[in-house]
Amino acid sequence: FLTVCFPVGYSAVALNHVIDFKEKKQEIIKPVSPSELFPSLPIVQGTSKRIKVLTRLTLVVSDPSHCNLLRSTSANIRLYDIIAVFPKTEKLFHIACTTLDVDLVCINVTEKLPFYFRRPPVNMAIDRGIYFELLYTPAIKDSTMRRYTISNAISLMQICKGKNIVISSAAERPLELRGPYDVANLGLLFGLSESEAKAAVSTNCRATMLHGETRKSACGVVYTVKKPRKVEEEETVVPACKKAKTQA
Amino acid sequence: MVRFKNRYVLCEVVSEDPRCRQCIEDRTLGLAVRDAIARVHGDYGLACCSISFTVKYLNAYTGTVLLRCRKDSYRLLCSALPFVRSLETRAQRYPCFLNTLHVGGTIRTCQKFLIQYNRTQLLRLLQNCTNEEERQCVQKSLLNCSLTEEQSQSGDEEEDDGTE
Repeated sequence: FLTVCFPVGYSAVALNHVIDFKEKKQEIIKPVSPSELFPSLPIVQGTSKRIKVLTRLTLVVSDPSHCNLLRSTSANIRLYDIIAVFPKTEKLFHIACTTLDVDLVCINVTEKLPFYFRRPPVNMAIDRGIYFELLYTPAIKDSTMRRYTISNAISLMQICKGKNIVISSAAERPLELRGPYDVANLGLLFGLSESEAKAAVSTNCRATMLHGETRKSACGVVYTVKKPRKVEEEETVVPACKKAKTQA
Repeated sequence: MVRFKNRYVLCEVVSEDPRCRQCIEDRTLGLAVRDAIARVHGDYGLACCSISFTVKYLNAYTGTVLLRCRKDSYRLLCSALPFVRSLETRAQRYPCFLNTLHVGGTIRTCQKFLIQYNRTQLLRLLQNCTNEEERQCVQKSLLNCSLTEEQSQSGDEEEDDGTE
């Protein structure tokens, strides 16, 4: 699978694990470590670094009691790099944007949204550094899904003005993957401007990764960049605060 | 100055099946792209994009394709390219996808980009080479390619031979 996406030009890949709460109570299993799956990770095209493989957990929530799982101190949750939540009702969307400790909020693309987006929770999510995720693989497979994808995406754009959007693929087969330039062009179809679409593929994804790292480690992340003259100025560390301000 | 401005889109056909690349033809590819535009943008999109739409260059060994369209409608074309799912030739259907590499205003800029891109691909192949003969072959192609005016065509050809 990953042998196809290496030459296409991605530098980091996240493997997703979906937990659905409609079935019986499921235990959150330990994520499969990427080094077990691939003995050697190939090198990113154009640079000399290896491709990063991250692990990601998606929770499909349709009930507020499911969110307690996130607050519990289950050790396995900490092992995942990125946590995403998939709310099914408006109340849950509100809770996810405002109080839940996640990195991504998935927006349903496969059927008509049962609720409309409202501006206050969306703005709060943007302030907290949470990103909204759109999937593009159903759009490639099926025509009716394409319509729902585009209509949901455009309604999201109208509320959030194109900020904090990540476009990702839920590809199950390697041929459903598309290159980053193509995905940015798909963003144009969703109503993003050209620079926003490119950002949705590159900088926003990187910010999500940093947000996940922030959540895993302490509460703040500071990236130091070496300046030619004074280096001591950069060493001041921002005190721990819950709002993760990431510096790309 | 009155001149029709075109955009040239450079793509690469990626497929799991190794036979798929050998039977790409320009007509089948053109039909597949037009079909995708019709599915995504409808009759209006198809009509807009097919004003000056042709497949200018096709390399079956590396799967490189160069498409031309009008400058006003290149966005419609580019946004419909991810929806190409398969190529159909005679009675066979091969699943594949197109990976957009570069969009340029002239064939010459696309050619320059393609030469650089092939160079990096050769370097990548060099790392994956297992056979000693292949390694020498690839290294020879790398040393031979250059960007002088009359040799730019042959430089392209040599790299294509090295990647087969």
